[in-house]
Amino acid sequence: MSHEGHYREAHPLIFVVTHWINLVCMIGLAFTGFYIHYPFFAGFMYGARAIHFLLMFVIIINLACRIILAFWVKTANQLGTRETDIDLKNWLPQKENKYQFMETVKYYTFFRNTRVISAKYGALQKIAYLATPIITLFMAYTGFALYTPAHSWAIWPFFAAGVSFFGGAMGIRIAHYFGMWVVILFTMVHAYLAAIDGFKPLWGLIFLWRETPGDEH
Amino acid sequence: MAQEARAEFTELLAARGVSRRDFLKYCGSVAALLGMSEMYAPQIAAAVGKLQPALWMAHGLCTGCTESMAQVDNPDVPTVVLDLLSVNYWETVMAAAGTQAEDNVAATVAAGGYVLIVEGSVMLGENGNVLRIGGKPGIEELKTVAAKAAAVIAVGSCAVDGGWVAGAPNIANATGVSKFLKDSGINVPVINLPTCPVNPEWVVAMLVDVLLMGELADGSILKKLDDMGRPKLIFGSTIHDNCPRRGHFENGEFVVFGSPTQAADEAAGWCLYQMGCKGPTTQTNCPLVRWNHRSSWCVEAGSPCIGCGNANPITGGPGNWFDASAPFLTRHADVRLPGIGGVQPSTIGAVVGGVAAVGLVAHGLGSAAKGRVKGVPTETQKVHDAKMASKGGDK
Ligand code: HEM
Ligand code: HEM
Ligand code: HEM
Ligand code: SF4
Ligand code: SF4
Repeated sequence: MSHEGHYREAHPLIFVVTHWINLVCMIGLAFTGFYIHYPFFAGFMYGARAIHFLLMFVIIINLACRIILAFWVKTANQLGTRETDIDLKNWLPQKENKYQFMETVKYYTFFRNTRVISAKYGALQKIAYLATPIITLFMAYTGFALYTPAHSWAIWPFFAAGVSFFGGAMGIRIAHYFGMWVVILFTMVHAYLAAIDGFKPLWGLIFLWRETPGDEH
Repeated sequence: MAQEARAEFTELLAARGVSRRDFLKYCGSVAALLGMSEMYAPQIAAAVGKLQPALWMAHGLCTGCTESMAQVDNPDVPTVVLDLLSVNYWETVMAAAGTQAEDNVAATVAAGGYVLIVEGSVMLGENGNVLRIGGKPGIEELKTVAAKAAAVIAVGSCAVDGGWVAGAPNIANATGVSKFLKDSGINVPVINLPTCPVNPEWVVAMLVDVLLMGELADGSILKKLDDMGRPKLIFGSTIHDNCPRRGHFENGEFVVFGSPTQAADEAAGWCLYQMGCKGPTTQTNCPLVRWNHRSSWCVEAGSPCIGCGNANPITGGPGNWFDASAPFLTRHADVRLPGIGGVQPSTIGAVVGGVAAVGLVAHGLGSAAKGRVKGVPTETQKVHDAKMASKGGDK
């Protein structure tokens, strides 16, 4: 468990909400996606597709909101502080992250024993949180390329290019399917690290918006 | 086939048991296939009587497409129309042989203005000597004949992108006609009609479009093709969207291999998605036009669609329908991994996911063993900064 306090400034309520929406959408999309891939019980295809098609819009709108809010909502700029700065700056790599990538890798592979100095997030976390929008956009792009109504949209040529890039309709379906596994892997590692780095304070803050004071040293 | 046949076209039809009424009805269906009003039927009927010459060249093929053109026990209208087309060369069905046949080709090429129909893949292997025609490499023959053609119709998947002949590992180095002609610098409009074999109704419809409706001359035919060179009207919507089993798909009623109710579910016409149906990723109008006198088609007959209407004429090889659909009875195509071969994407996903889960559990145990769960002190200075400081101290 880390020593820092976990204050609401790290994740203002609105970001707790966007995080919840991300989580619910991803679970819903992965479940219905698995079902669409291989309907493992009878009678739910219409429902699975309807839910997939609803949640895909929700997650994209949520991502857009999260990115726009990053430009003007202020969040804690370091671990264990109430001092805030524009969220975007804390989302992108900060100066404390510099030179720390390999050290963080060493820490997690047990090649060093003290935790590394990080900024609001560690170097690996920063990469992961920058990768989330990219993988979500990748899912949106490949997903809309599979979405039949998109064929009649004016921007269809934009998706058609991807279809031929992946070698046709089957290729892009497989790309979308593999994308799901990337999301699953991200979520596994992400939730695991949050759990070992402090299950109660971190999960409590991001899901229940509950503060944990730091150790008094 | 002699030109004078044109004059007595209707009599010829009658002689083969096709009434003028049947013929007009058929022309109406051709009009519908071309997206025109059925009012065009008489115009099409009149035009069919004065068809231009055509050559039907056979390359790397199984003759399935020719077989498909003759799909019937007693001649139906499309077969008769094709029979009476002035096809000056058609290896499998022509009476001429040897030099006489070669001369027919030479005369047609010299006259120009003909439509070239190509069946079969272009086999580039062994410098084109995998297939030799008239004593020359097949690809040389194709270049000569295509250069003077008014238009090329590539019939069947093989001619479109190499088809199954080009399926991995493609030892004959097969490719499609449009890619080959483009690479050879021969600039002639190519209309691609994939599926294995080709549907004869599409061939007739395209001949009518190209030759009769003047759409080649004014270039409007090209606007009717998609980026794969396929007529949008035929290849514009997925099989899945027009499938008679679609209701069962939406209801989640699937035929499953080896399930206790498989026979009953098949009899009830349930959806073949779980049997590997490629209908959702295949764009053709098979469910509407169907096959063999419009009597049935793959999915109606109980077989999952194997996706033979997919095409990749742009790269002309990898990613063609065969590679994009095999194995036919699984939901996804195999992904080809070097040194391992074809693997299902779900296997890859499960293996990677499983390895990651095991890795995380191992990491968790490691962390517990190292006592990290209780909390780990943070360094007071970055390793990098410490190094820089010691270097600075040396100076
Ligand atoms: C973000 C926007 C997304 C869009 C626009 C989208 C769209 C689609 C569409 C249109 C389909 C095809 C459904 C059908 O044809 O019946 C599909 C299938 C699928 N989706 Fe998504 N999706 C999105 C996100 C996700 C996410 C985040 C996941 C997983 C975490 C996911 C997993 C899947 C899977 C596994 C399939 C089945 C693919 C197959 O095996 O054929 N999707 N998606
Ligand atoms: C069981 C699932 C999950 C758990 C337990 C979890 C937990 C957490 C925790 C504890 C944090 C705060 C990290 C810190 O302050 O150091 C966090 C942040 C974050 N999580 Fe998750 N998360 C889960 C699922 C997801 C999913 C599915 C996504 C992506 C689609 C996601 C994206 C993010 C992002 C982008 C952040 C950074 C904060 C922000 O941008 O607002 N998480 N998560
Ligand atoms: C892609 C093209 C095709 C390939 C590679 C192919 C291949 C084959 C092969 C290897 C056989 C077994 C031959 C044997 O028993 O010695 C066969 C049999 C047969 N093929 Fe094809 N075929 C093709 C297309 C077609 C088409 C288009 C039709 C009909 C429209 C057709 C109708 C048949 C029939 C009826 C038999 C069974 C013959 C018998 O059992 O006596 N095939 N085919
Ligand atoms: S049988 Fe194939 S094309 Fe027809 S509804 Fe089922 S999946 Fe779609
Ligand atoms: S239904 Fe599918 S497999 Fe059958 S001919 Fe059409 S595209 Fe080919």
